[in-house]
Parts: sequence; structure tokens; C-alpha cells
Amino acid sequence: MPSIQTNGLTKTFGEDVVAVDSLDLTIEEGEIFGFLGPNGAGKSTTINMLLDFIRPTDGSAQVFGMDTQSECAAIRERIGVLPEGYGFDDYLTGREYMEWAVETKDADDDPEQLLDLVGIRDDADRVASGYSKGMQQRLAFGMALADDPDLLVLDEPSTGLDPNGIQHMRSVIRDRAKEGTTVFFSSHILSEVEAVCDRVGVMNEGELVAIDSIEGLRESASGQATIELECAEPPRADGVADIPGVSAVDVADRTLTAECSDPSAKVDVVKRVDQRAEVVDILADNTSLEELFNQFTGGGRDGDGSVGEGIDLEDSQEASA
Amino acid sequence: MSTVTVAKKDFKAARRSKLLWAAAIVLGLIAAFVGYVSGGASGTDAEQVRALFRVLTLLLAVLLPIVALVASYLAIAGEREGGGIKFLLSLPNTRRSVFVGKLLSRNGIVAGGVAFMYVAAISVALARHGAFPAGVIFGTLLVTLVYGSTFVSIALAMSSAAASRSRAIAGAFGTYFVLVILYVFPVVSFGDIARWLHTTLLGADPNPDLYNAVQYTSPYLAYRKAVNLVMPADMRQLVFTSSLPEDISYGSARANEVLPLYLQDEFSVVVLAFWLVVPLLIGYALFERADLE
Repeated sequence: MPSIQTNGLTKTFGEDVVAVDSLDLTIEEGEIFGFLGPNGAGKSTTINMLLDFIRPTDGSAQVFGMDTQSECAAIRERIGVLPEGYGFDDYLTGREYMEWAVETKDADDDPEQLLDLVGIRDDADRVASGYSKGMQQRLAFGMALADDPDLLVLDEPSTGLDPNGIQHMRSVIRDRAKEGTTVFFSSHILSEVEAVCDRVGVMNEGELVAIDSIEGLRESASGQATIELECAEPPRADGVADIPGVSAVDVADRTLTAECSDPSAKVDVVKRVDQRAEVVDILADNTSLEELFNQFTGGGRDGDGSVGEGIDLEDSQEASA
Repeated sequence: MSTVTVAKKDFKAARRSKLLWAAAIVLGLIAAFVGYVSGGASGTDAEQVRALFRVLTLLLAVLLPIVALVASYLAIAGEREGGGIKFLLSLPNTRRSVFVGKLLSRNGIVAGGVAFMYVAAISVALARHGAFPAGVIFGTLLVTLVYGSTFVSIALAMSSAAASRSRAIAGAFGTYFVLVILYVFPVVSFGDIARWLHTTLLGADPNPDLYNAVQYTSPYLAYRKAVNLVMPADMRQLVFTSSLPEDISYGSARANEVLPLYLQDEFSVVVLAFWLVVPLLIGYALFERADLE
């Protein structure tokens, strides 16, 4: 039985805002599934429907085979959630919040141990509303871990965390997955998904535009690599463009930039340029998941299928924030 | 029981609110002050204490709705706007257990405020008069708690209907104005509106009973009439004088019985029960259906 299954799940707001458009998604038991997409793609709306915070306009969803609407209580017994848009606004300490989570889940966990696991034990006696965003995120993550849930639903889990926190969270997620917990997490940070997930689904404008393993996604993308060569004197560009696999060459001052449709062409570019000018620095950039991501989302909409035309993900986040 | 866990957490957080403690202390002081100034009338000690509690209920009729509305208007809306609802409903709680838990906790808070007033008033009564007319004291306490609960129900319904703090505030203000202020300062009363509709628009003969019945839909008047149920006959308040036959004097023991059933003191139980239950059903239905984002 899959951990999560959605059948034609649809949510429209008002007359014409389609947040999620007939989503069919199956997540098997024990997998770590990354749910990827830019802001407003419908990730949180999907998660909110799985948690019965909002009700689908059409279609249905099951968690552990139970209907998300009629059996939400039984589902909540078995899942741990790090929600999006939460707030610790009661006048309670971190420890009291954790104790409350453990008590509500009727769990055997020791709250101290969970606080320790997420690294806020020393601050547990402070009021949680006074925590920094990162510490609140740690507390919320710890609360999700209580009662060793069969499914972890994490909505943008790394928000506000420092690099150490992100790494630690990843290792906890991997540990839990190893013990059989299914992990479903949404993110707009590709490296995070890449680092943890077995399988990835990419959402764009309410639709699932790709679903595959990271390797599979890489293969399906048209590989594009960029190499930048900084030379001692302005290099000559002639001939470089003729190298098989090089699609574009540009010289600006002492820097030559070549775009390669075949990543292996980079070596030839370096050899050729080095014959005529002293190369002092090399900067190579393989097809990143970000470009891949742009293909599936921003770039794909431009219709010419080229890579890198789409909006940069980080920029688009800030713009919509 | 997740309902209890929700209520416990909510109550725990509320107990730490300095504002609530300040409010409770102010209420206690007001009650003590009423006890202090109301002792001048003639009569036995017990009568004086009864009079004190009658005055206290008049005050509570106006004050308690404020306390209950302020204590409850953010119960749901605040969680929705602040994001606390995300945790509440991520854990094994249903919307029903959240709603009922909030209801219990906010009723507890309001009851705590009432308890402060009663302790203060009883202390003053015992110190000055040494009398404890248990019937009146516990009777008014019970009626007062029910009255407070009706406004908790109303505020919770408002809170469920409002998706944000600002709307919840507007709802609470509006409720107080329509259900209490309009009865205390009847610039426009619903009875007058009914009279105008009835006589001017429909051209019928005046029927004071009808207009009073319209007035009687208010929990404020229902509370004042319900207090009569636990007061000795000679201390009852007359609310619907226009429905009283001319041969019955205001102070008469029969002043209640001669009224139509739907205007009698006993009918206040029905009015209060309506305000206790109906807003809860509406509020719960709204909360159950709402998209919580």
C-alpha cells in the first residue's frame, strides 16, 4: 500500500485560480520523496490537502489508504508534520511545546531527548515565540519526529536553518528513512532535494511536470555545460566554435566563455585555447539541477526548449517573497 | 482525550497572560467596590447582601459580555492568523477537538474572572454584614456563568467565521453593540423597530407583547430576567412594564405570572439556551468547512 496517493487531486481558489490541477501522485512506503517547484507552484496547497487543512475541489487523496478528509484523525496518529506558515504564538516554552506534542501523540518519547536531537535543549526553557526562525524550525522538526511517525511530511524544512542545521536535519531524515519512515518533503532548494531524495516530483503551475530519480532527471535534460577560461592576455576565439560539441563562444576582455552541448567538449576547449594563450584560471559548470529545473518550469514556458532561458530560481524566490 | 489536551494547553498559555490577570484583578476590585458602596440601604444583613448581589448582576450584565468576548474572540481566528492551527491540526487532533477544547478553555477563563468577582463580593459581604444568603449567591453565580458562556459561544462562532484578527475584532465589537449597548442605551431598540414595522408599515394595532417578545431575544435581557428566578419575589426586576395589565402593580408578586408565557422570567432559560447552542453549531459548521491556510 502506498504511503501517499492522490487521484486527480484538484484545488481551485475562486473562479480561475487553479492551484493544483488533477494531480496523480503515488509515494511508496519507505521512500524519500522530494517535492520540488518554485513558489506558487502548488506544493503547499497539495500538502495542505493531504493534511486536511484545505479541501480539494475535485479528486481525492489517501494517506496509508485512508481518506484525507473522512479519516484525518487516524492519519494524524501516524504522521509527523513540519508545516509551513506555523507560529508559536502561545506563551509556552520550547520544552512545553515539545511535551504537548508528545502528550497529544500519546508517545513514549522523552521530550528531553527530542529537544537534544534537534539541538535546542539548552534553550528549552525559553518561550518559543522568542526563538529565532531557525530555532523555531528545529523545534517544529522535533515535534514532527515525536512518536516515530510512519510518514514525515516536511514543508520547506530547511527554511531559516544554518548550514549545520540543514546537514543535521538531513542526517536525521536519512536515519528515519532507514528505519522505514516514508519522507515527503517539499523544497525550492534543489541541492537539498538532490542530497536527500530517492525520487523527485517537479511541480509547476499546479501540475506535476516531471517525476523521476535525480539521475533520471539529469539524463532526460539536454546536457549543457559552460566553461570559462581566464587568460593572461586576451585569447583568440577563432576555431573554438568549430570544436564538436561547442555551441557558443564569447570573449570578453581576457575571459573566454564557451557553452558546450556535450560536456566532454570542455577538455578540447581548454587544449585549444591553451595553445595560443596562457590560461590562468578555469571555471567549469556542469548542467546544474537548477538549469534542469528551469527547463521544467520557467524555461519550458518559453517554448524554445533552450536551457538557461528561464528565470533563475533564487531570483524568482526573492521576487515573489 | 485530545479535546482535553487542547484545552489544557490553551488554558496554560492563557494563565500566563498578564492582561488576563490584570482584568481578573480589576473585576475583583469592581466587585469589592460594589460591595462597599451598596450597603447603605435598610433591612436585615441577609437582605443587604442580596441587594448587593442584585447590583452585582446588573453590573455583570454589561461587563461580563466584554470579558467573554475579549477572552474568546481570538480563540480560533488568532490561531489561524498566527499559525498555531498548523500545529494543532498536524497533531492527532480533529477540528472538533480543537473547537471543543477552545470552548472549554475559554469558558474556564471567563468562569475564573467571575470567580474573582464573587470571591471579592462574598468577602466584603461577610466582613460587613456577616451574612451568606446561599440561595441568592449560588443562584446568581450559576445564572451568571451561563450568561458568560452564551457570549463565549457567540465569540467563538465569530472567531470561527473570521479568518483574521481584524475581522474577529470587528465581530466582537459588533456583537457587543447589537446585543448589549442597544439595550442599555436604547437609541434604537429592536422593540421600536418592530413597533414601527407593525403599526406604520403593516398598519396594525399596537401590540406591546409582540414588541417585548422581540426585545426578549437578547441574552442581556434574558440574563436580567433569569436573575429574577433566583431572587426573592420582592427583589425582582421588571423588564417588560408595557405588557403589564394596569391593575397589577409593579411590585406585585403576580407581576411575572400575568405576563404571556413567552415574556415570563422562566422563558429566559429558552433564550439563553438558544444563544448558548445555536452560535456554537454555526461556528463549528463554519470551522469544519473552512480552508485553513
